[in-house]
Amino acid sequence: MRKLRADVVVVGGGSTGVGVVRDAAMRGYKAILVDRADLAQGTSGRFHGLLHSGGRYVVSDPESATECAEENAIVTRIQPHAVETTGGLFVVTPHDDPAFGDQFLAGALKAKVPAREIDPALALAREPRLNPGILRAFEVEDGTVDGWQLVWSAAASAQAYGAEILSYHEVVAVERTGEAVTGVRCLNRKTGEDVTIECGFVLNCAGPWAGRIANAAGCQPVDVVPGRGIMVAMAHRLVNTVVNRCIYPADGDILVPIHTVCVIGTTDHPTTDPDHLEIPREEVQQMLDAGEELIPGFRDARAVHAWAGARPLIKDKHVAATDTRHMSRGMSVIDHRERDGLSGLLTIGGGKLTTYRLMAEHIVNAMEEQLGVSHPCRTADEICPGNVPGKTYLITDRLHEREEDRLSDQIICECELMSRSMFIDLLEKFPQASFDDLRRQLRVGMGPCQGGFCSSRIAGLTFEEGAVDIERATGLLRLFLENRWIGLWPILSGDQVRQAALDDWIIQGILDVDHLPHPAKEEI
Amino acid sequence: MARIVVIGAGFSGLAAALRLRQLNHEVTLVAKGVGGLQLSQGTVDILGYAPEWVQAPFKSFAAFIEANPDHPYATIGTQPVKRGLTWLSDLLPGLVVGDMEKNVCLPTPVGAMRPTALYQPSMASGVLTKGKSYAIVGFNQLKDFSPEFCAANLTRTPLPTGGSVTATAYRIDLEVAPGEADSSALRYARALDDRPEFRTRLADAVKTVIGPEDIVGLPACLGLDDPTIHIDLAQAIGRPVFEIPLLPPGVPGMRINEALMRALRKAGARLVLGSFITGFEASAGSIVSVTVQQAGHDRELPADIVVYAPGGFESGALTLDSAGKISERTFDLPLTGTNAADLVTGDYWHDQALFKVGVRTDSTMRALGPDGAPVYGNLYAVGSILSGATRWAEKSGEGIALGSAFAAVNAIGGGK
Amino acid sequence: MLEVDSYEHNVLARASLDHCVKCTICETQCPVMRVTPLFSGPKYVGPQAERYRHGESVDHSLDYCSSCGTCTLVCPQGVKIAELNSVARAAMKRDHMPLRDQIISRTTLLGTVMTPVAPIANAVLKFKPARIVAEKTVGIHRDAAMPTAQLTTFTSWFKRHTPSTTPTRGKIIFFHGCAGKYFEVDTAVKAVEVLEHIGYEVVVPKQGCCGMPLQSNGIFDAARKSVRTLAGQLQAGPAGVPIVSTAASCAGMIRHEAREIMGVTDDALIEAGSRTYDISEFLLGLADKGELPLDDLKRIDTEVCYHAPCQLKGQGMGTPAVQLLQLIPGVSVVESGATCCGIAGTYGLKKEKFDVGQAVGKPLFDKVKEVNPELAVCDTETCRWQIRNATGAQVVHPIAFIHEAYGLGKATEPKAGSV
Repeated sequence: MRKLRADVVVVGGGSTGVGVVRDAAMRGYKAILVDRADLAQGTSGRFHGLLHSGGRYVVSDPESATECAEENAIVTRIQPHAVETTGGLFVVTPHDDPAFGDQFLAGALKAKVPAREIDPALALAREPRLNPGILRAFEVEDGTVDGWQLVWSAAASAQAYGAEILSYHEVVAVERTGEAVTGVRCLNRKTGEDVTIECGFVLNCAGPWAGRIANAAGCQPVDVVPGRGIMVAMAHRLVNTVVNRCIYPADGDILVPIHTVCVIGTTDHPTTDPDHLEIPREEVQQMLDAGEELIPGFRDARAVHAWAGARPLIKDKHVAATDTRHMSRGMSVIDHRERDGLSGLLTIGGGKLTTYRLMAEHIVNAMEEQLGVSHPCRTADEICPGNVPGKTYLITDRLHEREEDRLSDQIICECELMSRSMFIDLLEKFPQASFDDLRRQLRVGMGPCQGGFCSSRIAGLTFEEGAVDIERATGLLRLFLENRWIGLWPILSGDQVRQAALDDWIIQGILDVDHLPHPAKEEI
Repeated sequence: MARIVVIGAGFSGLAAALRLRQLNHEVTLVAKGVGGLQLSQGTVDILGYAPEWVQAPFKSFAAFIEANPDHPYATIGTQPVKRGLTWLSDLLPGLVVGDMEKNVCLPTPVGAMRPTALYQPSMASGVLTKGKSYAIVGFNQLKDFSPEFCAANLTRTPLPTGGSVTATAYRIDLEVAPGEADSSALRYARALDDRPEFRTRLADAVKTVIGPEDIVGLPACLGLDDPTIHIDLAQAIGRPVFEIPLLPPGVPGMRINEALMRALRKAGARLVLGSFITGFEASAGSIVSVTVQQAGHDRELPADIVVYAPGGFESGALTLDSAGKISERTFDLPLTGTNAADLVTGDYWHDQALFKVGVRTDSTMRALGPDGAPVYGNLYAVGSILSGATRWAEKSGEGIALGSAFAAVNAIGGGK
Repeated sequence: MLEVDSYEHNVLARASLDHCVKCTICETQCPVMRVTPLFSGPKYVGPQAERYRHGESVDHSLDYCSSCGTCTLVCPQGVKIAELNSVARAAMKRDHMPLRDQIISRTTLLGTVMTPVAPIANAVLKFKPARIVAEKTVGIHRDAAMPTAQLTTFTSWFKRHTPSTTPTRGKIIFFHGCAGKYFEVDTAVKAVEVLEHIGYEVVVPKQGCCGMPLQSNGIFDAARKSVRTLAGQLQAGPAGVPIVSTAASCAGMIRHEAREIMGVTDDALIEAGSRTYDISEFLLGLADKGELPLDDLKRIDTEVCYHAPCQLKGQGMGTPAVQLLQLIPGVSVVESGATCCGIAGTYGLKKEKFDVGQAVGKPLFDKVKEVNPELAVCDTETCRWQIRNATGAQVVHPIAFIHEAYGLGKATEPKAGSV
């Protein structure tokens, strides 16, 4: 049993939670973040990667648009490494109403979202695969953002201010004495150890899982309705600019170039269990059709992986709809003091990754209001560790890096150009990590071969380095392959079928992984 | 003598082309690129799992066929497979050894015990034997082989035939060129082929690190042109030496591929490499010519007989498009197995029904239509295009390739 | 029309990267990767690196690709690997093209300058100090194979010559290529004589450079201009008749490379390409149809090594020269089995690539020396120069053997009057 003390415990290691723990730490609080899994393993790692310019909301939600425009600039400044300044286009396809473009421009002007109409020919010159029939095109300042990089660098900033980040710590109970929160009891899922954290405040940033945390505090049920959306990644960048359909926000309205892939998204369906999000075939078809309307031939391009994320929407009947004091757009805060007579607990729902920092500011302000103190928020002022000012991500970065070291290092994941040292360095920091934990920071196994070639290499490295025993190393290899398959089988078609066949040939045929001794328990 | 066009340069295509050329036919081999042999492990599998470990492949055939009536072996039968295996063993005595009646276990790079029947002489000492101890040696510069992972799994895995082995991992520094950090197995193989001093360096380094183990296992890179390097090494090290096939492209598979290609050139077959077949002409139920994609203008290749050995889904001969339609690329042949309820499921470890989809044939390997009659009287389908097998899981790929090639050759008969 | 004026616009080859399953077969066959770690290999710089490219090519090691095209040829999945590399190289060099690459890319210019002063040009090319100066100033290696300038061009020979027979088979267009016009005049002459001998009326329309050397050095704009002009010139000849060539790589440019690498899709080019044949391919086609007079072929007792050039192999026709030569009684052909001679157009001339080119060609040179150190056969000019330079053997086009077998001359001797 491990015992810790903190001023505030943040539950949930997505962008909201990490933003909050960073903000709280920067304001001088002793803060601890717990997550039952890895950082950004949930919603923050399961989106399309858009860093909104605000363009998407200029008609439907102008206040949101303004917030996005402002926060986009801040995130690009404080976490440039996670951001690629791709720029964005809003295009009117032959299927869309050209008149919406006028609403769009007017809305952008009002919301202070930079946007200008350009000649469709210019848009086509910039993105030659775009539908040549586009009727209008507008340029905006969309970017793309790696949710994992964003969250990890914000976490590093929080740590630099004394915060502790405890991933794979599942909240078992929120302890209370009468009407006040006194602490959090957790289980370290990797080691099985019980961990209790004494604290006066808990910020519930568990997103789609927020209801469970409120339950653990003995509150009235919080009605979380996760909105499931699927994304399909194509094996290479068909566009290098974010391409939005210039329509009222709808399914399949955006194509986002992020890292080496481009992602078409998304759908929106209410679901019940955020731990088991399906990727239904018909939604995959819907996405491919949507892609085809933006990029002719999209269906013949190679879909490499799909995933589903859950929007953390809270529809709570116990909180007044007008209570938007502490909210950013699209975000809701439940103060359990008013609702359940429990002080020291706030539950947060909704939100957008682009405005995560602003949301965190509002949340910590709300906490301070309850505590009756006030410190200035400084999260917009300081660049996060690991970032070089002004050095945003470029798609060419890894190729450039490997050009420098390819003769002196080994390339373990060839698709995503991950070197041996990159893997070993991270493994040393996280010896308990699963391959998926490492993948989210390194992109190993995320390219076209989906782990067919690199999975046995990383299993070997992990065992060689003495991080784990052979049973776990073998179990991790199996788990990695199983997990890759979750995002593969729903989209399996075209060129990816050849790859899946070759991968089976390798994994079953040559390596015979399936006949290695099966692990006694499932690895985490 | 017939004008025969063989399409595909994998195991079945090369075997069929060479055998037909030996039988005096005029053979043109057309292939898009290098065939799949070098993607394989370079052994000759017949039947390894059914789904339990198979001790004696041919003795298990009857029961296996009864349990899997749609399997290619049910059509091919035992004899063509045996004939093909015998032919290959006679043709390439320096590359194929073993007893086709008996499976053995060979270690894989992850330390699994993989069943196969025939293997290369360089792998023979790796036939896992109860009670033996193995020194598994890896190279720091070769990322495709972790001796630690391999040895640890070998040690903790019981032999399917009972008992166990002990394996100990060692690693050495072996730079192909000074400072080179990331060398492929092929690069090692060529260095061992070309530079006698490199063999000595390898042997010396191994000798220095290993303990008292009975046998030494190395990654499969012991020469491409010269398949006897393992003998030199064994002599120098003073222990039997064997090699463990790695990820593609595998040196042992390349050896067989190059040997068959050489034999085919020498036998006087015409080779057209780098081209897809883009069309064909048929008349009165027979193919009369195929169209070869060429720069500028395609070419009609007249054919009395077509042997179709294009591979399966891995080569793109079978395709599943984004709308869910499964087709065969060249002749639009009718496919079997497309109506399975769940062609692809979310259970990774379960055989995917999709990969059993393929072409059904009669016992002479002529592709059949839904009515059970040959689609074309002179179109023979062989190898991975055949429906009903899960080659990777069963460890049956080479047996099906050779067996189907020989069943077709048998039906075609000899030329003048 | 798809115009690939900038790297970003190259859609065709880029789309093919989706077919890559990382099987790495290309790297097992790459002749450059085999001899130097400076080149990171076709899979690496092709489908792999392409996913990271946007505008600029940051991986400068891709310039070690010799553009031999072996990777595309051996790829079982249909990835246009070499084409991807060529396009990326063009992007990389867009703004800093070495002077050397500009000079060696302009064969017409070289030929025009050298022909009138052939003895002097040849002496200069053989004069070591001059070559050292050339190496230091423009980067052409001092020991690299260079063409031998001829006193007469093919075209002036053609104008003067009288056909030996009366045509019985109609017209045919002969496409000689720059080398055939200026340097390998003998090959072009023999080809014409063979075609006339079997009854064709040979027509030689005015023809400029196909742009291949420009293209392989990444100078796309000028290369496109060249190939378009040439297509027009060939079309100016009699309509619909076969265009037959002894310049296998130039024919390849017309037949597919201009389209696949540089995105030129003009109707004129496609039409001209659709009736362009390598001369061995053309003659073997006649033989297969029983239209080549085989009985007239006289016996030549010899064993020679034949090397199929990369540019020829990439055209998907197999190796027709092997079957053609074997129609001559007594000729025993041993295929080199080697991938590439190492010259790869102009690659092996460059001072920084010369050693790589020599190492690439070594298995071929060894084979030539082993089979017949005096005489070897190869279809393309630059490969012949490279093999000649490295082995000392005389290297001739396959047509030289057919020419001799038809009693028109001697394969190893230049046709009188053609030099």
